[in-house]
Amino acid sequence: MMLHIPAYVEALTREMRSVGGRSGQKVRVHTLFFGGGTPSLLPPKSVERILTTAREVFAVQPEAEITLEANPGTVSREGLAALRAAGVNRLSMGMQSAHAEDLQLLQRGHTAEDVRQAVRWAREAGFENLSLDLIFGLPRLSLERWKITLEEALALDVEHLSLYSLIVEEGTPLARWVETGKVEAPDEDSAAEQYEWAMERLEAAGYVHYEISNWARRRAQGGHWGSLHNLQYWRNQPYYGFGAGAHGSLNGLRLVNAAEMAEYITRCAAGESQAYPRGPATVEVLEIDRETEIEETLMVGLRLTDEGVGRQAFWARFGEALEDRYPRQIEQLTREGLVELTDDRLRLTRRGRLLGNRVFSAFLGGD
Amino acid sequence: MEHIRNFCIIAHVDHGKSTLADRLLQLTGTISERDMMNQVLDSMDLEREKGVTIKASAVRMVYTAQDGLDYELNLIDTPGHVDFNYEVSRALAACEGALLIVDATQGIEAQTLANLYLALESDLVIVPVINKIDLPSARPDEVAQELENLMGYPAEEIVRISAKEGINVAQVLELVVNKVPPPKGNASEPLRALIFDSHYDSYKGVIAYVRVNEGEIRSGDSVKLMVTGAVVKPVEIGVFSPGMRPVDALRAGDVGYVATGLKTVAECRVGDTFTNPQRPAAAALPGYRKAKPMVFAGIYPTEGEDYPDLRDALDKLQLNDASLVFEPETSQALNFGFRCGFLGLFHMEIIQERLEREYDLDIVVTAPSVEYEVIMTDGEVLRVDSPAQLPDESLISEIREPWMALQIFSPTDYFGTIMDLISKRRGVFVSQEHPAPNRVQLNFEIPLSELIVDFFDALKSRSRGYASMDYQFLEYRPGNLVKLEVLVGGEAVDALAAIVHKENAYHKGQALVSKLKELIPRQLFDVAIQASSGGRIISRANVKAVRKDVLAKCYGGDITRKKKLLEKQKRGKRRMKMVGSVEIPQDAFMAVLRLEEE
Ligand SMILES: Nc1nc2c(ncn2[C@@H]2O[C@H](COP(=O)(O)OP(=O)(O)OP(=O)(O)O)[C@@H](O)[C@H]2O)c(=O)[nH]1
Ligand SMILES: [Mg+2]
Repeated sequence: MMLHIPAYVEALTREMRSVGGRSGQKVRVHTLFFGGGTPSLLPPKSVERILTTAREVFAVQPEAEITLEANPGTVSREGLAALRAAGVNRLSMGMQSAHAEDLQLLQRGHTAEDVRQAVRWAREAGFENLSLDLIFGLPRLSLERWKITLEEALALDVEHLSLYSLIVEEGTPLARWVETGKVEAPDEDSAAEQYEWAMERLEAAGYVHYEISNWARRRAQGGHWGSLHNLQYWRNQPYYGFGAGAHGSLNGLRLVNAAEMAEYITRCAAGESQAYPRGPATVEVLEIDRETEIEETLMVGLRLTDEGVGRQAFWARFGEALEDRYPRQIEQLTREGLVELTDDRLRLTRRGRLLGNRVFSAFLGGD
Repeated sequence: MEHIRNFCIIAHVDHGKSTLADRLLQLTGTISERDMMNQVLDSMDLEREKGVTIKASAVRMVYTAQDGLDYELNLIDTPGHVDFNYEVSRALAACEGALLIVDATQGIEAQTLANLYLALESDLVIVPVINKIDLPSARPDEVAQELENLMGYPAEEIVRISAKEGINVAQVLELVVNKVPPPKGNASEPLRALIFDSHYDSYKGVIAYVRVNEGEIRSGDSVKLMVTGAVVKPVEIGVFSPGMRPVDALRAGDVGYVATGLKTVAECRVGDTFTNPQRPAAAALPGYRKAKPMVFAGIYPTEGEDYPDLRDALDKLQLNDASLVFEPETSQALNFGFRCGFLGLFHMEIIQERLEREYDLDIVVTAPSVEYEVIMTDGEVLRVDSPAQLPDESLISEIREPWMALQIFSPTDYFGTIMDLISKRRGVFVSQEHPAPNRVQLNFEIPLSELIVDFFDALKSRSRGYASMDYQFLEYRPGNLVKLEVLVGGEAVDALAAIVHKENAYHKGQALVSKLKELIPRQLFDVAIQASSGGRIISRANVKAVRKDVLAKCYGGDITRKKKLLEKQKRGKRRMKMVGSVEIPQDAFMAVLRLEEE
């Protein structure tokens, strides 16, 4: 992996130049996000080089949010300082749990102490925007133990928290343990209870629940510390994706890059140019027709528990009223207590936040 | 006529009838090597997939025998499954002889006997054949002895073959020529041709399979159906070889087809006799008793709008399968559908699969029921084949249910466990026989309602697959029967009702409720499931409201995948039936069939 890094960074910058170079005028960019895999393994020098390229190719705004996902076990004091100096201004770290047993179950290489230390170093380096990921609904995780995890995270006093319900992904060791009965399958009802408790506790602590799995502190100057980058996804707005396996979405297309590192590098090196916004490593292109765009806008927009899907914005974007398009669905979901339609928006109710799939499904496939 | 032989192949299920037919078709050159495939006469998709013959097929072969003469051999391959017994009895009426195939490893089984008796009743010459001698576990000598004991045919004269490997198959053809008598009947007498089967062809209408007993049909002649009186001008007459091949004439002794051009089977019933309208015969041939449906179930479209498609599909199936009966039915829970009658569970399964696969319909099938005779307090007698239709208890003076004579064939080792199964199922022991060493034939009487609830599977599993069974209708007998109702969310769901023996009501109610609790997914609200009988709740359970579904994260790269996943789940949900405000999956309606035996 280490051996590939220079070649990979080279390929990445080529890809950015290739796509950016064909975009006409420099596109304004408000957010950058290093994610997927473990970007904290990337030497700060490489991060710097990527950012420099981005600034050359795009009109990266001075106040742009630049996030890097970091594994608390792989960061150092110097490394974090260098990242900050390179321009990264937001860190998202996978804390997961305060309990050693949970971390072991999840096969995470870090400890709770690593997390505390990483947060301290990040503050020292000047990061003002930190986020931690936690996982609830773990096997054997009681409400009491979950409370300990959440309190520990609160004590670290970060701007942003992401709470994910454990999903036993096929093919992982955890899935095997559950299958063979070594580990009890996570229980849906206790997961619901943990989530509900977290909603209350975080509200009391002054966090805004702005997306199903995400909470943010209020900003002194108004608004909140929600991830601007992820908000772009949830508002179904365009974004570029660079790197092996990256996804992009713009000009009515969803694009997917080659996922294999070697293939990705070869493709970028060859630099074969496909029509914009495709890049040299694009291997999959999906056209998004109007129907799909509407459905996806609702599917992701309703995840925004606070802002929901704006009626005005929907009208402006699609030229028809939300409630005219889905009268039956809205009526039924309202009756079931899962959504609320206010003067300006459609959004999930408190109960609907736990039953999002039901709500999203209602808007899919026409009927 | 001297050179015609009409014969059928009969046997217990899977003993190798269709495989032997393959070899005979090859040996006589009726089918080219290029067109050959296994069980070539099983032409329906479902037959090929399940490896079972569902419908009899007739085929004409020409064979040059060792005496140097050419013979016309008309072969009818029959199904072995008990549900399709009536197909065998019809085929027999078109033949003078039958090859009785017995698997050399299994020996005589229930349908071996049942079919043998049918053939004897029709006065056929029976030629026993022992098959599958290539198998290491074959015991041809013992089986030959069993056959000698059974039918007095000298054991040493019984031909032993492997249909699969083609061993000794030529001998079978010689036996057919030498043992099966040529048909009698005079070609110059007035025409009488028996319709022993039919299928529907979208171009040529109803194709009647006929055996000409006397007289002849010439191409271009009109024919008259003696029972209905209708006169038809056939589109074509011909023989199966094995595809339809037109001929100029079918004469006394021949087996072939008459393509009638008729659009409904009702106009051309199996069992009717064709005669010549100019020179009619005096009397029709004895027909068949109509196959009587024994098992009834509701079939409903999952989506109400598919109702007309379902009706069309049932109509079409009936064109090829006159034993399927159906009439419109409405259910509070399932809305508009059809009450269908079947010959047995296997028949029902086949119809269900054909509707789903050949007609691409999403359907709900309710648990099968038998037909009850309900004697009302005012003396009126009702026939009820749907538990939901059972009148109020206070108006009923007696309920009678069909009882069957049941024969089970088994190695003696399983005697105990079979007796135990029978007593659990309200059966009564009648007698036993020992047709061969270590084998026993047990005769019982048992309510049909007990046979249609998983009985055959239970028998097979208790006997490690060795026991086989056959049954025939016996009579209606009064029973201590009650209606078991199921309430979901406080509402009685008619399609889940069952008629059960009073002593079992409590136990069955509990088992049914816990099964339904497993099958009904959690909904947005608590759902109570209750079983009641005689106005009393005998069991209850609660499906707790769902609190959360997957709270998966969803960022840029997840959107397409996640949308596909949700769409797939949604399609899965469409396969559920809304009963009131509760979503009930289709298999819940069959739950009563799969209650654990303790
Ligand atoms: N080893 C061996 N297997 C055979 C022989 N004859 C038939 N089989 C196998 O037995 C199975 C049943 O054969 P079929 O010819 O379909 O039997 P069938 O009597 O027509 O069955 P139904 O029509 O369902 O009653 C198939 O798997 C055949 O391959 C034989 O001589 N030897
Ligand atoms: Mg067969």
